[in-house]
This record gives sequence, C-alpha cells and structure tokens, in this order.
Amino acid sequence: MTTTHPEQENDSVPFYPDHVKTEFYVVVAILVLAFIVGGLGLLSPVGLQDPADSLNTPLHVKPEWYFLALYQLLKYIPPQVLGIDGTIFGVVTIALAFVVVVIWPFLDKKEDSKKAMLVRVVASIVGMIILVALTIWGEVS
Amino acid sequence: MTLRKRQLVWLGLVVAGGLVLLSAAAAVHGRAAAAAQVNGPLDWAQVEAARDAGQPALSADLPPAQLDPCLHCHISGENANLWTPLARWAVFGTFGLVFVFGVYRSASVWNQRKPWKSLTARTVEWVDERYQVSEPLSKILKKPVPKFALRWWYCLGGITAFLFVVQGITGIMLAFYYKPTAAEAYTSIQFIENEVRFGAAIRMIHHWAANGMIVMCIAHMLRVFIMGAFKAPRELNWVSGVLLLLLTLLFGFTGYLLPWDQRAYWATTVATDIAGSVPAIGSLILVFLRVGWDVSEATLGRFYVLHIIVTPLLTVAFMLVHFMMIRKLGIKKPL
Repeated sequence: MTTTHPEQENDSVPFYPDHVKTEFYVVVAILVLAFIVGGLGLLSPVGLQDPADSLNTPLHVKPEWYFLALYQLLKYIPPQVLGIDGTIFGVVTIALAFVVVVIWPFLDKKEDSKKAMLVRVVASIVGMIILVALTIWGEVS
Repeated sequence: MTLRKRQLVWLGLVVAGGLVLLSAAAAVHGRAAAAAQVNGPLDWAQVEAARDAGQPALSADLPPAQLDPCLHCHISGENANLWTPLARWAVFGTFGLVFVFGVYRSASVWNQRKPWKSLTARTVEWVDERYQVSEPLSKILKKPVPKFALRWWYCLGGITAFLFVVQGITGIMLAFYYKPTAAEAYTSIQFIENEVRFGAAIRMIHHWAANGMIVMCIAHMLRVFIMGAFKAPRELNWVSGVLLLLLTLLFGFTGYLLPWDQRAYWATTVATDIAGSVPAIGSLILVFLRVGWDVSEATLGRFYVLHIIVTPLLTVAFMLVHFMMIRKLGIKKPL
C-alpha cells in the first residue's frame, strides 16, 4: 500500500468545479439518451396489452424482468425440500440471502487484499451469470 | 450641497471667464449700436426697395449684405441693439455654466464611484449578509475529491441518482393525466399515449429510465462489492445502499401495475403470490399489498400511493443519508 493521503493536494481535485464538471457531462449524456428514447417513444410507444381481466388468465404469466430470476427459482423448486413445502423453503432462502447481503459488511471484516478482491470478482461474475441465466430462462419459458 | 475650496476656485474662474466674454461682446455690440443710432431705426420698405433694386447697404457704416458675417443681424437690425445679444449671453451663458458644473460634478462622482460589481455578485452578497451561507457552502463545494474517483466506474451511483431525478420529473408529468381507478387507469394511459403532446415520449422515458435505474443500481453495487468499498468503516453506506436497491425494486413493483392491462395485472398477481408464501406473515403481507385477497381496484390505489408518495419520500431520505455518509467517509481508495 502506498502511503499517500487521499486529501493531498496533487492527489485530489476540488468537488466544484472539477468533479461537478465531470458529473455534468454524464448528466448531459443521459439527457441526450433520454431524448433519443423519448423520440423513439413517439415512433413506437410502450403500448398496452388488453385491459386487466381477473377472469381471464393469460397463457404465460410473468412478473417484471428483475423478479424473473426469483420467480424461476421458485417455479422449479421441488414441492418438498427437507420435509418443508418447497415454495416456503425457496422464499425463506431468498429472504435469508437478502439479509446476508444487507449485513455482509459485518460478516466480511478481514483486512482487504488483492486476493480477496479476486475472489469477490469471481463471485460477482458467477452470481451475475446465474442471475442473467435464470432471467433469460424465465423470459423464454 | 457644500462647495469645497477647489470647486470654488473653478467656479470663480468660470464666472470670471464668462464676465470677460460678456464685456467683450457688450463692447462689440456697443459700437454697432452707436452706428445704428446714427443711421436711425430700420425701415423695412427701404430694405425691400434696396433688395429689389439690387443695391447694397442700409448705411455706409455697415458692410454690404453679401459681406456681413451675420445676415440675420444685418436685416433685423439686431446689431443696432445691445439687449438682444446681452439677453442671449445671459441665458445661454447660464446654461453653459450649469453644463460645465455638471460635467465637473459628473467627473468627480465618477472618480469617487464604488468599484463595479455584477448583479450576481451583489445578490450573493445580499443573501450572504443575511444568512451567512457562502462559508459552509464553499466548504461543501471545495471538498477535495480523490483523482482516482474520476474513473468511469465511479459514476454508476451518480447515474442512478440522476435517473431517479428523471423518473421524478417524467413521473410528475405522467401523474398529471393518470387516473388510478380500475375504470379509467387503462384509458388514461391510452390518452397519454395518443392525445397528450409528447405523452408517448414521456412514458417511454419513464419506462426505460426505470429499467436503467435497476441496472445501474446493480452495476453500482457490484462495483462497490468488488472493490471492497463496503468494508469498515463504510458498513452503513452498504446497508443504506441495499435498502435503496430494495426501494428501487419497490418502485418497479408498484409502478408495473399502474397501466392496468393484462400483463400488469397478472405480474402483480404472481409477484404478490410470492410475497404471500412467506411463512407466518405471508398472508398479512398479501392482504396489505392487495387490500383484500385479490388484486383489485383497491390494490391499484394502494400501489399508486406507494409508487408516487411513500417510496419517493423514503428514497429521497435514504439517498440523502447515503450521500452524507459518503461525504463523511470519502471514497475508498482502490487497492
């Protein structure tokens, strides 16, 4: 580890105007993108399906894409896991996983190292691949 | 008005100069007047007759009309009279004195003027005099940001925050026309897409910025996770960030129902079903979300309020906390 202090003069830029300027460019880029998206919306709107009808269940019922992975997990979990109802098991597992994510900083207290970072990179990639795969599977199924 | 010594000297000089000019003029015109006394008052018939005859001169003492430098004086016989030029000198001379004095005053006011300040600077000063904001504000603005934080992957959180702003603005625009009732929700969306000017564009932006916000949230989280920025002392930054992700998902979850079409209805049905299978409190969550056992108009109203009031307020609060904690602890130096 180097011994330079982050607040040292040559190591930092003032928040205003340097950093704000950078953020401003990002904001302008997003705005341009938003206007392009809006223009596309004028050409082909988001649109609507048929009006909601509680008596008519469509063939493929799907939640939003960001819940698809969870939905897919729950859909394909066996009906009985360790003697517990499968759906309840799945939901509890997901809830516990979420709790673990929330309190992760309190579990991973070791001094950070390059090796630990590499492990985290691999874990992130694997996790994201699983998540994306489940989402795609949910989307096409 | 008080005159200072220097000003008195100048005034004296100007008055003296005026008097000299005035007496010179009086002398010149006195001579002319004396000549006019000899020739007698002007006779217009004689002037016209002389003009018609092409003859010069009313009197031997005056130059011929063509050579007289003041033809007007020549004809009207003014140069035979002292009072007209004297009155002219008195009137115009007074104005002249006033003018000269004004120029002098203007010059000295200009010399003693306050240094020029822009309207912005004066406004800032005015506010600052009253509320003393510039010092804490400049402290906030001048806070050093480490140079490594200018890399692109450090702006993912900022993008998320800005997309939230975009969602706020476009969401307000949509809320002007949206009606959260089973009878009108669907048609009001149709109205927004077909009738409202740029309504389709605004809905499109709201739709895609919502998806973008979730993607950016996850990307930001991955960056923080990989770089180990969640580690002590930044544990609570992470916790508040995860809660913000949860709130973002809640935004998506509640917003998805609002179009009140088949996709929205059944997505909400299956999603709330999942929530309902949580042991012990599942039914409670289900009934709270659906306001009853089925997805109905009451669900729509509840989701609408959650979407446009409860979740935004919580998100803004958590964002402020998140930002303040980041400010306090700074950005983690990469390994």
